[in-house]
Amino acid sequence: MSQFLRLSRRGALAGAATLAMPAIGGAQAAPVKVGLIHPVTGALAGAGGRCRAGGLMAIEDINAAGGIKSMGGAKLEAILGDAQGRPEIATQLVDQMAEAGAAGFTGCFASALGLAATQAAAKYNIPFSIDSGIADAITTRGLKNTFRFFPNNSTATADAMAALGALNKAAGSPAKTAVIVHEDSEFGTNSVKLQAAMLPGIGIEVKALLPHATPTRDFTNIVLRIKAEKPDIVLISNYENEYVLLARTLVQQRVDLVSTFSISGGGFNLKFAKEAPTVAENMIDFNHWHNPKDPRSVAFRKRVEAASGFYSWEHPFGYFAVKLLADAWERAGSADKERAIAALNGSTMADHFMPYGPTKFTNGQNSGAHPVALQIQKGDMTVIWPNEVSDAKAVFPRPKA
Amino acid sequence: MKWVLVGGVAAVPFVLPSQSMVNIAMLTAFSAFLGQCWNIAGGFGGLTSFGHAVFFGSGAYTGAILQTRYGVNPWVGLPAAFLVGGLVGAGIGAASFRAGLRGSYFALVTLAFAEVFRVLSNSLEFTQGGLGIAIPLKVSAWNFQFADRRATYAVVLVLLAVASGVAVWLTKGRMGARLAAVRENEDAAAALGVDIVRTKTWALALSGGLAAMGGVVYGQTYLYIDPSIGFGTERSVEMLLVAMIGGAGTVWGPVLGAVVLHVVADVSRAFIATPGFAPMVYGVVLLVIIAVLPQGLAGVWAQVRGTPGGARDA
Repeated sequence: MSQFLRLSRRGALAGAATLAMPAIGGAQAAPVKVGLIHPVTGALAGAGGRCRAGGLMAIEDINAAGGIKSMGGAKLEAILGDAQGRPEIATQLVDQMAEAGAAGFTGCFASALGLAATQAAAKYNIPFSIDSGIADAITTRGLKNTFRFFPNNSTATADAMAALGALNKAAGSPAKTAVIVHEDSEFGTNSVKLQAAMLPGIGIEVKALLPHATPTRDFTNIVLRIKAEKPDIVLISNYENEYVLLARTLVQQRVDLVSTFSISGGGFNLKFAKEAPTVAENMIDFNHWHNPKDPRSVAFRKRVEAASGFYSWEHPFGYFAVKLLADAWERAGSADKERAIAALNGSTMADHFMPYGPTKFTNGQNSGAHPVALQIQKGDMTVIWPNEVSDAKAVFPRPKA
Repeated sequence: MKWVLVGGVAAVPFVLPSQSMVNIAMLTAFSAFLGQCWNIAGGFGGLTSFGHAVFFGSGAYTGAILQTRYGVNPWVGLPAAFLVGGLVGAGIGAASFRAGLRGSYFALVTLAFAEVFRVLSNSLEFTQGGLGIAIPLKVSAWNFQFADRRATYAVVLVLLAVASGVAVWLTKGRMGARLAAVRENEDAAAALGVDIVRTKTWALALSGGLAAMGGVVYGQTYLYIDPSIGFGTERSVEMLLVAMIGGAGTVWGPVLGAVVLHVVADVSRAFIATPGFAPMVYGVVLLVIIAVLPQGLAGVWAQVRGTPGGARDA
């Protein structure tokens, strides 16, 4: 009994000393927890991992700059979750992170995950900043907690058609017919539906729609069908491996084209440009990218490349999804859910290097967000449209092989 | 006494303050339910299906289409899905069993049917192709959408009780005896007057009807389905895995299998941050159970009691 009392006294003294410490050293603001939900294993692991890496970079930068200043320098603290590409796991992660005290979420790369996770977070009214997940429905369902800094599918497709129309017109309209190759799930199907409806409006007749499954490991038959249709351009909407395989097969089969044009081409990235330079050269993609004229974007790219060797648009997506939340907490002066959501609704965040201008949210969607037209020239990524942010002149039509 | 204990354990999530823990319980019960559906045909009837997602997906699409296209209340989706799943099961069963397919041939045919349904749902305008179907978010009990996960857990628990009730009935009734006879030796069963095609078709239809109701619950919980979510092989594998690991052909096998697999998956996910490591631990545990317990987890109890441990090798 006496030993128990002695230990209790020691414990009480130790506890009292610990409690007194912050008072002596000055109060440390409680950290603000951010849940980062991405697929980092499975088929989407690469892209999900890059979104996560971008988010962690933002947290590192914000903390290095003194945290959330209006909250006494509160530091951000990441809670990481692997959604494994399954909506039910994404939902489970939201529950776990909410109970662990998450004040905000970012994620989830894929639309199916984003749809499930945002509605789960809505039950707690915790703000959710979508980093990737292009489906319009994510922000059109009336969820008050969901915000997307980046473009949605309707905007991306409409902009892409405007870009293609402008490039074609500037070159004397060499492209009059097109074949669309697309993967057959939500992403490709949704895109192609909109493209097929809009192409005649820019003077391009659609000769055929060629869907394929993911994965597809041989594009010979699809390319033979393209050759049979003799289109001027091939439009592509698919994921990474299929994009690269199709591009290679088009070159191998010597398909004579004015150009290729993809929308959110999964494989259109710097890795592709480096590994298959002759195939990738002069391919055009309409996709997310930073403003190359902003020096901060150049420094950011160099930093990512120094850390991981490979930069893609998922890095700034992950980065600014977290920055958006931090900006809201900064202006709200609190991580309180209601106040943070009100701050997001009134957000005018201009401290970024995406070609969007200051944020302006309409029903959770940043109305100023627009993708750009990219072209691989001399093994590097260049922006060729719109002119305000372009750093290279378009090669269109491409030179004959 | 046993049932009181089971009821007590099943009721624990209702008093848990953590929505996350309730959600784990709900997902575990949901896996157990789907495993039990597979078990009715695969365990008790020896109809080893590799494509049970065909029923799950049919149900999910039935509920979603009725609601989004025709404005039918989602609760009506449950009996409708049961009917559609049953019809799909009867169709696949009649076509396969009349052709005399069994064993690995039947397994491959079910896999093919699931893939055909996936491709069809990916291609047809009626199912919105690869776009999938987003169910409008409208949280209310009338609309079969719940803010509290306890309500979803309660619905899943009722479905699990129904499926387990069917399993108990199969262990005691004449239909179960016929199924067991067909599973153990078709020729002998036929010689005794059992209508093989009708018995197996009936089992597959019942199993399919129940699994289809699971599809409706999934759709109402996550509010989005697409061809891969509905008819993907991952779902089929999960359904047969929980039954196989727990003990196929036993009443408690799928429940045990679901509990163990979810505990392993959730605990490893909670404690292992390295990407890919948690699924690897899950895989190792699976291998160990398959290697060490060929009769499944229920087989251990059966061995202790000296009773037969189900129909794993049927």
